[in-house]
Amino acid sequence: MLNVSHLTKKYHRFVANDNLSFMVNDGETAVLAGPNGAGKSTAIKCIAGLLRFEGEIELCGFNNKSTDAKKILGYVPEIPAPYELLTVWEHMEFIARAYSLENWEDRADELMRRLELTDKRDKLGKELSKGMQQKISICCAMLINPRVILFDEPLVGLDPHAIKELKAMLSELKAKGTTIIISTHMLESVEDIWDRVFIMMNGRIEAERTRKFVEESGENLEELFFSITEKNNSDNKE
Amino acid sequence: MGAISYLLRKTIKNEIIDTLRHPLKFLLYAFVAVSMLYGAIRGYTAGGDLGSSEIWSDPRLLSGAYLAVFFFISIPVLLKGLSSGTSFFSLSDVNNMFVAPVSPKRVLIYGVGRQLATMLVLVVTFAAYGGMIIKMFSMTVEQTVILILGIVLMLVMVQLVTLMIFCLASTHPVRASVMKYIIYAMAFSALGTVIIYSFVKGISVENLFAAISLPALEYIPFIGWMHGLVFGILEADIIKMIVFGSLTLLCAVFSVLTLVLTRLDFYEDVLSQAESYQEFREAVREGKFSDKVMLGNKEIKLRKRGVRRGKGATAIFHKHLLEGSRRSRFMFFNINTFVLLFVGFVITFGIKQAKPGIEPTIIYLAAMVILAYVQFFFSASGDWVKELTKPYIYLIPDGAVKKLVMAAATGLIKPYTDGIITFGLLAFAAGGQPIDIIVSMFTYGSFGTLYIAANILAQRLVGVDSTGGIFITFYISMIVMTALPGIIAGLVVLSGFAGQFGYIATTLLGGPMFLWNLIVSAGIFLACRNLLNNTE
Repeated sequence: MLNVSHLTKKYHRFVANDNLSFMVNDGETAVLAGPNGAGKSTAIKCIAGLLRFEGEIELCGFNNKSTDAKKILGYVPEIPAPYELLTVWEHMEFIARAYSLENWEDRADELMRRLELTDKRDKLGKELSKGMQQKISICCAMLINPRVILFDEPLVGLDPHAIKELKAMLSELKAKGTTIIISTHMLESVEDIWDRVFIMMNGRIEAERTRKFVEESGENLEELFFSITEKNNSDNKE
Repeated sequence: MGAISYLLRKTIKNEIIDTLRHPLKFLLYAFVAVSMLYGAIRGYTAGGDLGSSEIWSDPRLLSGAYLAVFFFISIPVLLKGLSSGTSFFSLSDVNNMFVAPVSPKRVLIYGVGRQLATMLVLVVTFAAYGGMIIKMFSMTVEQTVILILGIVLMLVMVQLVTLMIFCLASTHPVRASVMKYIIYAMAFSALGTVIIYSFVKGISVENLFAAISLPALEYIPFIGWMHGLVFGILEADIIKMIVFGSLTLLCAVFSVLTLVLTRLDFYEDVLSQAESYQEFREAVREGKFSDKVMLGNKEIKLRKRGVRRGKGATAIFHKHLLEGSRRSRFMFFNINTFVLLFVGFVITFGIKQAKPGIEPTIIYLAAMVILAYVQFFFSASGDWVKELTKPYIYLIPDGAVKKLVMAAATGLIKPYTDGIITFGLLAFAAGGQPIDIIVSMFTYGSFGTLYIAANILAQRLVGVDSTGGIFITFYISMIVMTALPGIIAGLVVLSGFAGQFGYIATTLLGGPMFLWNLIVSAGIFLACRNLLNNTE
């Protein structure tokens, strides 16, 4: 479970996240949607414990900066950053060691197989394309069997097979009760996997919807998204 | 040239405006300029000279050192120019100018011109050191100006020759290969001549000086010729001036003619070079020396596979060992070690030559202080700095201090390895008390620890993602502030106990410095553990 309470992140006078409060339950897939600059990635980085912020963030009851929280958190960054001098397999081994994982090899093999990295097993990070590097990031985050996992624009740069496989993996994680948070500005890319969506604009959450609500009310999510983001844009122009 | 001159004008103008708009940047530039100007004026005008000792007043040392500078300037540029065109262009030049209807030759001349302009900075730096040259080698201002102008001329010649080589070899792999061997032959013929001469005649400072100033070295194409020309002017030797001046002029004319007469198609070669150069510049600007940038497309053989050891934070250390073994077979013994050894032996032989019969402890003391200073230039980036640029270290579930120490561990070990190797080998040349040698080794190593701790402190104070200039200023300030108490303690002990325990000045000065460096570094590591709380 993820509990974000009064999260505010400022860069000098610029407010990137303005008093965000939301909760994502176990086994739920939440989407942080919004245009570029809405504050999605900043919120994700704050949850991952990479940024300073005001407010509180708890992962399954642990403060997000604590070691206990780190043990259960997976994070797939927007820009993949593999180690140039480690092979694909060594990335798995490094993560297994850093997180003190036991019997991880089969799972690493399985993840690599599913994301078609098996034949790249002995390739160095610096020899891989951006898409392949993104796949390593996903494998590293998945390897720890996280209870909360954060994806920052996860589908950018992935090939169609990897996108299909990643969506299948997300379904499996969800079935296991993992809390999934995805940041994206392309709602259509996650339309079949979301349970809860937060539409962000100018650092604030302007709307929150559950799939159940949208299905029952017949509301068009895309229209809602544009009504919020385009209204704000025209307000800003005025 | 309309577009090019417009670009140059606008670039210069905007650079000036940008500097004026950023007070800190302006102040930094102003500070550096004033410091250099002050140093230069003081150097040129102050009385007294360091050249009173026999060793510095020997003109052969100046001749050898000047030739070495020429080789250091030329060989890397020649090899780089041969392998990938030139580094005269930025990615913006490629994206904008290469696709514009501007003659490739004009574009190339623009690139060379701009490169020369950036080299002016180097010349100004040399000029600032002119005062020191005057003092050290007991020279006149006129002679020093000739030496500096010689370096300027050399920089121009290197660019011209690089262009000539590139024009001749860029589309002919065999020619390129032959050129490469010729460049290597030039470098190794000089080095080989000095080494063979020294061994044949017997290893001594006298023979080494004779070797580095051999007239034969001046016949090495264009590098030796330039040296011959400059020293011909210095020595007022008309024959040398005519011979080497003519050879240099011929070389320049041939280079220009080759450039004018060859059909140039260098854009493709420059493109990949510009991209990697852009990546390199970005990395340097951000203080991120990624392996991809530093190693380029160098093929790495996977001898050892797997991290194999470590759990939690220690996995970072073992990962660094694995990465280090892939960068170089000898992780803790690299070019820096050779530089330290070279400087160490120069100090040792220099002092022994100048003051025969001097106590070895003075040699260790001088070497320890100078090498600790030299080490600063090797300590700017390490594995741990690169680690901060990736998310993993922040995410790993382990104690912050442990993660920080483990991330810095390879950087902490390296100076001690260098210290043990360098002072261990210097001991053969200098002799002296074992305690002095051991203290030198570990005091040198402890400065490595202090540099890393000061770096961490600076990162903590100004932020991991701060810009280069501001960070370096803070970093140097932190080093000075953290090292000063140890240096003062060492001087107090040295002045209080000198002579009481025999001649062990190095131990008396280095001991307190070693202890202080470790204590203050440990304190900084503990105090800055929150560095890993976030990436900011």
